[in-house]
Amino acid sequence: MEMNKSLLSLLVCLQLISTTFLWSLDASDVVSEVKFAIFLAVDLLCFAMVAYSYRKLKGGLLISPRWMLLGSLGLVVLLFSGLFFP
Amino acid sequence: MTKESHTKTSRLAKWLDTRLGLSYPLLRPVPAYAINPFYWLGALPVVAFLIQGITGAIMMLYYVPSPNAAYTSTQYIFDRVYYGRFLETVHLYTAYAMIMLAFMHMMRDYFVSAHKKPREVMWVVGMIMGFVTLGFGFTGYLLPWTVVSKSATDVGVGMIDALPPQISSLVSFLVIGAGGEATELLRFYDVHVVVLPAVLLALLTIKLYMLEVHGISEPTGSKKDTKQIAIFPDVTIYLMELAAMFGAAMLLISAVFPLVLPAPYTPALASQSIPQPDWYFLWVYQILKISVFEGPGLPLALGMVTLIFILLVLLPFIDRGGSRAMPQRPIFVTFGLIFIGEIIVLAVWGLLTPGQIIPIGQAVLVLGGTALVIGVISVTAFHFFVGRSKHPGSSKNMTAKLNALGTTAAFAIIVSVGALAIGTSLSSFVHIILNGADFISVVTFVLGLSTLAIMIVASLFLLYMSDRTTGRLRMRITFFERIARSWK
Repeated sequence: MEMNKSLLSLLVCLQLISTTFLWSLDASDVVSEVKFAIFLAVDLLCFAMVAYSYRKLKGGLLISPRWMLLGSLGLVVLLFSGLFFP
Repeated sequence: MTKESHTKTSRLAKWLDTRLGLSYPLLRPVPAYAINPFYWLGALPVVAFLIQGITGAIMMLYYVPSPNAAYTSTQYIFDRVYYGRFLETVHLYTAYAMIMLAFMHMMRDYFVSAHKKPREVMWVVGMIMGFVTLGFGFTGYLLPWTVVSKSATDVGVGMIDALPPQISSLVSFLVIGAGGEATELLRFYDVHVVVLPAVLLALLTIKLYMLEVHGISEPTGSKKDTKQIAIFPDVTIYLMELAAMFGAAMLLISAVFPLVLPAPYTPALASQSIPQPDWYFLWVYQILKISVFEGPGLPLALGMVTLIFILLVLLPFIDRGGSRAMPQRPIFVTFGLIFIGEIIVLAVWGLLTPGQIIPIGQAVLVLGGTALVIGVISVTAFHFFVGRSKHPGSSKNMTAKLNALGTTAAFAIIVSVGALAIGTSLSSFVHIILNGADFISVVTFVLGLSTLAIMIVASLFLLYMSDRTTGRLRMRITFFERIARSWK
């Protein structure tokens, strides 16, 4: 349960970070189109994972921490790929 | 929160609930088994439609629907509007996804018999929604006024001439009007942004109403979970999850494969390019390229494609009775698999052979071969897996099963070769009617008919041979013989 809470906090943090980056982009730059897409995708995927966790926990079902951790790591990688996109 | 403020909030909530009926269960709950993406394949095209509505509305602010300004305004969106290229890319890819998901939704419903009683009208409405979706693709393709889009649309519009004259003049007036390219583009634009969205929304309302009346179709297996889940918040959250994942996928695909605007349309450039439709019309394009359908054969091809669409619409009234479970519907499942296989083969073939006329013999071989391979695999798989599941663990029957498997495979080969023979003889017959008799077509026709006759004899022989082990056929013949004797 504690693990789930930590992961959910991580996801919400990721969502906040990606939203912050999303608003800081220079819209006139062509490269920022790709960054915009990546940050918005991270935002949406974080939302999907949080919603999934909420649904499972509400139904009294267990979430596999391994998959959640892998998903979160994937999102972190995606976020960084957006940050370091040339 | 103090007790007083809590009471005030409760009173406000109660007041709102009394007036607006917020706690009233407006939508029926959803069975627990429906929390599965396959049950919501029809919801995802709606999400795609919403994304297209938003991106399309932004593009409408800049787009000018006139032949002189359509391309330049599209280019302006690409180069000058913030995230303009991204908007165009997302709009295009969600359109592709909408068409693909609508097709997947149709085929999934076909395989699980969701079209059967009492959901026949839902299927018909869904099919019309599918045609409207294709209409979006057809009308939207012209709007950027590129050489590719204009040439392909010209081919599509040119098919109107193949219709009977009375219908042709009416359709031509409705689609392209009498004002040349300017009227044509304006009409396509109006249909794309006003008529089709309005029709789709009306049809969506009807379909959602019917979904509410009939509910989600039951699973075809024996295990039925009766647990119900409220539409709000659980199912709503689940749908939002799916929508978020779909949106993220569209964004990432758009980021990785950004759209490149092709060259603008000019008559000179158009004369050098080979017109080719977008991928979702490639299968129709490939049918039209078969040599017998060229020139005077075009109405025949259009009639054939129309017949496929009519059969799909009327499917609930053709495939009516019997079980809904796939293992009990080998014929319809095999037909469905062949249909998907043929569509994919035609589309890929069309992509690889732009502008090439396909000889009829080659077409019969490729399409017949596809049907043959899929038919044999499907029938064999059905017999092996479904037959085995009926008698689990019965090693005693294994030899009989292998014999039966051989008989089934032989039947599948006979039926497939027979289908090829019918195809060959029919196509050569059509060729003789349209172009007159020549040596090759007459020989092909005779060979096709002879193969068909051999296959009929072979199937009768196979029936006789299989009857030697089961005796069922003999029993039936004896039964009819007795009836005949009693009449005498």
